[in-house]
Amino acid sequence: MLKRILMVLLVLSFIGVGLGVSLAADGKGNSRKGKYLYRKNCRTCHVENGKAKELSPVSKTQAQWKTTFADPKKLPCAGEWAKLSDKDLTDIYAYLWGHAKDSPSPAKCK
Amino acid sequence: MAKQLGMVIDANACIDCKGCMVACKVANQVPGDNWRNWIKDGAMDRSAKSKKRMVFQPGNCMQCDKPTCVTACPTGATYKSKADGVVMINRDLCIGCGQCIKACPYGARYRNEKLKVADKCDFCSNRREVGLEPACVSTCPTKARAFGDLNDPSSPAGKLYAAQKEEAVQVVNAQSDTDPNIYYLGAPGDKHWPVKAQMPSAFTFWKNVADPGVKVLMGLMGVGVLAMLGKQLVMKNDAPEEHHGEDGHE
Amino acid sequence: MADSYRPALSRRGFLKLAGAAGAAAALGGGGLSASKPAQAAGGLRPGFESKFTVCDMCFNKCSAIARVQGGVVQKLDPNPKFLKSRGMLCARGNAGVEQVYSRDRLKYPLLRVGERGEGKFKRISWDEALDIAAEKMKSIGERYTRCGFMFMAGSDMQSSFVHRFAEAYGSYNTLSHESMCLIAGTRAFLDTFGEVPIPDMLYTKYVVMVGANRFESLVTPDSIDLMTAMNNGAKLVVLDPRYTKTAAKADEWFAIRPRTDMAFMLALAHVLIKEKLYDRKFVGEKTYGIEQLAKHVEPCTPQWASEQCDIPAEDIARIARELAKAAPAAMVYPGRRSSNYTDSTQIRRSYAIVNALLGNWDRPGGLTAARKVGLSGGVPFEPPFYENNPEDRIDAGRAKLMFPEEGSFKLARDAVIAGKPYPVKGWFTYHTNPMQTAANRQKTIKMINDMEFMISMDIQMSDTAWMADLVLPSQTYLERQDPCTAQQGSSACACVVMRDPVVAPLYESKPVFWVMQQIARRIGLGEHFDFTIEQFREKQLSGLQGAMDALKRDGVYYNPSKLYGVYEGKIYKTKSHKIELFNSRYAEMGLDPMPVYTPPKAGGYDRFRLVVGRNAVITQSSSQNNSLLVKFQPTNHLWIHPDPAKEMGIKDGDWVWVKGPHGKQRLQAKVTHQTRPDTVYMATGFGVLSTGLKNIYGEGACIAEVLNDDFDGISGNMAMHETWVSVGREAA
Repeated sequence: MLKRILMVLLVLSFIGVGLGVSLAADGKGNSRKGKYLYRKNCRTCHVENGKAKELSPVSKTQAQWKTTFADPKKLPCAGEWAKLSDKDLTDIYAYLWGHAKDSPSPAKCK
Repeated sequence: MAKQLGMVIDANACIDCKGCMVACKVANQVPGDNWRNWIKDGAMDRSAKSKKRMVFQPGNCMQCDKPTCVTACPTGATYKSKADGVVMINRDLCIGCGQCIKACPYGARYRNEKLKVADKCDFCSNRREVGLEPACVSTCPTKARAFGDLNDPSSPAGKLYAAQKEEAVQVVNAQSDTDPNIYYLGAPGDKHWPVKAQMPSAFTFWKNVADPGVKVLMGLMGVGVLAMLGKQLVMKNDAPEEHHGEDGHE
Repeated sequence: MADSYRPALSRRGFLKLAGAAGAAAALGGGGLSASKPAQAAGGLRPGFESKFTVCDMCFNKCSAIARVQGGVVQKLDPNPKFLKSRGMLCARGNAGVEQVYSRDRLKYPLLRVGERGEGKFKRISWDEALDIAAEKMKSIGERYTRCGFMFMAGSDMQSSFVHRFAEAYGSYNTLSHESMCLIAGTRAFLDTFGEVPIPDMLYTKYVVMVGANRFESLVTPDSIDLMTAMNNGAKLVVLDPRYTKTAAKADEWFAIRPRTDMAFMLALAHVLIKEKLYDRKFVGEKTYGIEQLAKHVEPCTPQWASEQCDIPAEDIARIARELAKAAPAAMVYPGRRSSNYTDSTQIRRSYAIVNALLGNWDRPGGLTAARKVGLSGGVPFEPPFYENNPEDRIDAGRAKLMFPEEGSFKLARDAVIAGKPYPVKGWFTYHTNPMQTAANRQKTIKMINDMEFMISMDIQMSDTAWMADLVLPSQTYLERQDPCTAQQGSSACACVVMRDPVVAPLYESKPVFWVMQQIARRIGLGEHFDFTIEQFREKQLSGLQGAMDALKRDGVYYNPSKLYGVYEGKIYKTKSHKIELFNSRYAEMGLDPMPVYTPPKAGGYDRFRLVVGRNAVITQSSSQNNSLLVKFQPTNHLWIHPDPAKEMGIKDGDWVWVKGPHGKQRLQAKVTHQTRPDTVYMATGFGVLSTGLKNIYGEGACIAEVLNDDFDGISGNMAMHETWVSVGREAA
């Protein structure tokens, strides 16, 4: 656990600024690609009984997803984010934002 | 007090979904176009305001206290059970003459297309034997039918009967009052449908003279045996058939 | 009149049952058959087994008990512990035995050898069938991208496996029956309350039912609870162009002019606001847009609505007042099927808005929130991503707010026929029958003819299977093992049910899970189906301690949770996080933020509006051809009012033709006051093409052949009540 935190801190120190994804155009990414990337990159930890809190698009409102993506540096997994391209993050955002709790099409399953 | 199985039916609650009819048909292997029970329609009320709710009236054999069908039966195949007051048919004794069918004011009897004998509701004697409620009672979505010993206030029907005696009515044809054991609560719906029982003229003598016990004996010894023989000679296909027909379960 | 009721009190023989006739007959009869229950020649005998199952005759999925003797299902009984159905089993549920033992079961895989729709097939082995299916999926996927194969599954406990397969295979083009049924209503309530409510029918005091027929189109527990509520004094007002059985049981029935529901609702809102009868505290705290609504409904007086709806203005005003008086235990019933008009989402929005004004949300007798039972998603999987796939579904963008998983059958079909934006050349259908249920059958045939390969899996040769190239025999629900499924139902609580086989499968029938697994293995996707149903269930139930024990013991697992007041301190899942009388998202998208009424065109005797529906013995086409149920409905009739019938010389029972914009059907007329003079009706499920449906082939008319395929512009839902038809008597 400690090792993981250290690792995260280390990575964080490297990435510094520039992580905040430009998300001016809400949901303009490829939501379907985003679902795939989310499953591949995020669900590895964010699952039931996983390393991190279980998450699905309906865990947050659209505004909350926006906040999350505007400043991911605070997140414990910011290091993981750094491994993803801007395009990938935009796609993941499109999926999560597009199927958020208060979206027109809230996700049914994870 | 003697046990008398009966029903207290809240016809108001019936939505005419036919659940009881299919349940009965399956449970009792009632063939083809034969039915042991029914739901009578009410008249359409086209007014919007203060409209009367249409009443659908579910029914089946009324297990009468004075069953004209029993009187009409020449062989004693039809009898009223001493144990629970249900009017039963002994299929081995039934010759399929059809007199009982005409003798029922309620049209509750039919000639079983497959067995070639008279048939009717017996409150699911087969199911009751294995501890289940009559099929129509348990399946009913709105639980319109309460079933049980009318003389036992702890049974569902007896309880309702005891509590709502002033409201409960029988549906009878005054010319053939058979004293039925099905009671309706509230607005029971159509009441003009029971007919006058058609009693077989040939048996009027017995009806008036013979003690029913003697009649049964006579039926068994004389007419009944002869008739059974005749039936077996003339009629085919009177063996009980498998439930689901031709290529059902191979 | 000789016939009469006789009060029980006057009953002579009641207290002395053992009168002469009774005693003597009993002596005789009883004596003769003392050892034998005389009549019980058939039916259950001691030693039968009772096994839990879940009914599959409609979408309700009621828990039931199969009585099995000698390996044969003898009888299906309700499960008294299943609160959602209130321990009942309807006519269709009872007829479930016939699904298994029907002479028309599909027995083995069939490959088409004649022309499409000609009905010529040859028997092939499962191995061959699966090889063909796999080869076609592979080759179509390679040539047209994976989205070139479309998948459609009906309401079934294994349908999720078809969707899972589609996802692993890489097709976004999944469809369900829902876009021909309920998605407009779903859209409307989601866009008003942020979720689809569960009506708390049991404790309600006043129900206005419009566009729903709960005593015929049974929904558990709503249908049953409505009767209980009525027995407890609740009032039911039904607005329906037809005198349905729901209308028959109602306290008031108004034969509303079709397509004017919204005018009625706006007038209710008008009265509630004008007379300050709405729940001002609730509306002030929890809703968004009351000022805009007040302005919007200002001109919508009862007098105005009266002219639209054919309902007296004073009745409209009175109903509004009565609703307000009974509120919050009062409701405009949300309904289910809303595939009616081109603005059905907005029509249902108007229902939702009246409910919001009544302040009935989250309160006893009103509309309650769905409750989670805690079922997990099953065995997780990570489907691959296919980079060469198009960006989205084939029907994407054709309706403004389509649901991405359900899509729109109507719009997908248009897109496939157009070949735009990309070709779709393969189709897999399971347990669904759009050939019968989707308006404009000719278009469905055209779409199929444009396909390279179509696979259909069902228990009998439905019209959809009839058109397929490969037909696969499915197990019926009584023969198979299914995953768990969660159910909602107002005060009946959220619960879980599951299925185990109650009898061994007949013939070569298989579950669709197995078929998906086998095809997946053949095309390199086996890892996504590398589990058993038991393992899948274990994952589903992982968060619910004791659930499996309860399921085995009672046939149902409950997870009790708070029923009312669950929204206290929570946001509504809408854009404004409040109940949206004014829909801010619609406003942004250029849609009407408030329901705007447009009057329907006038009908005439040469021009009737056709409405469709069902009753308690038919579920569209999923229970069709059942030999027990066809006893009650062997065919369908065209309901026509006596006035136009007289004018046109049509007598009850006459053969008539009914003609829509794309097709003509013939059937017999039922001349009846049960429909308006400008409206004709026929039931769904007849006029079949498949000769494999022996109990109904040649009977009645097909709605899909006559109906035009209009659609709701917001949700993409099929609009089935927009079609004007002409009717005429057939020459003798």
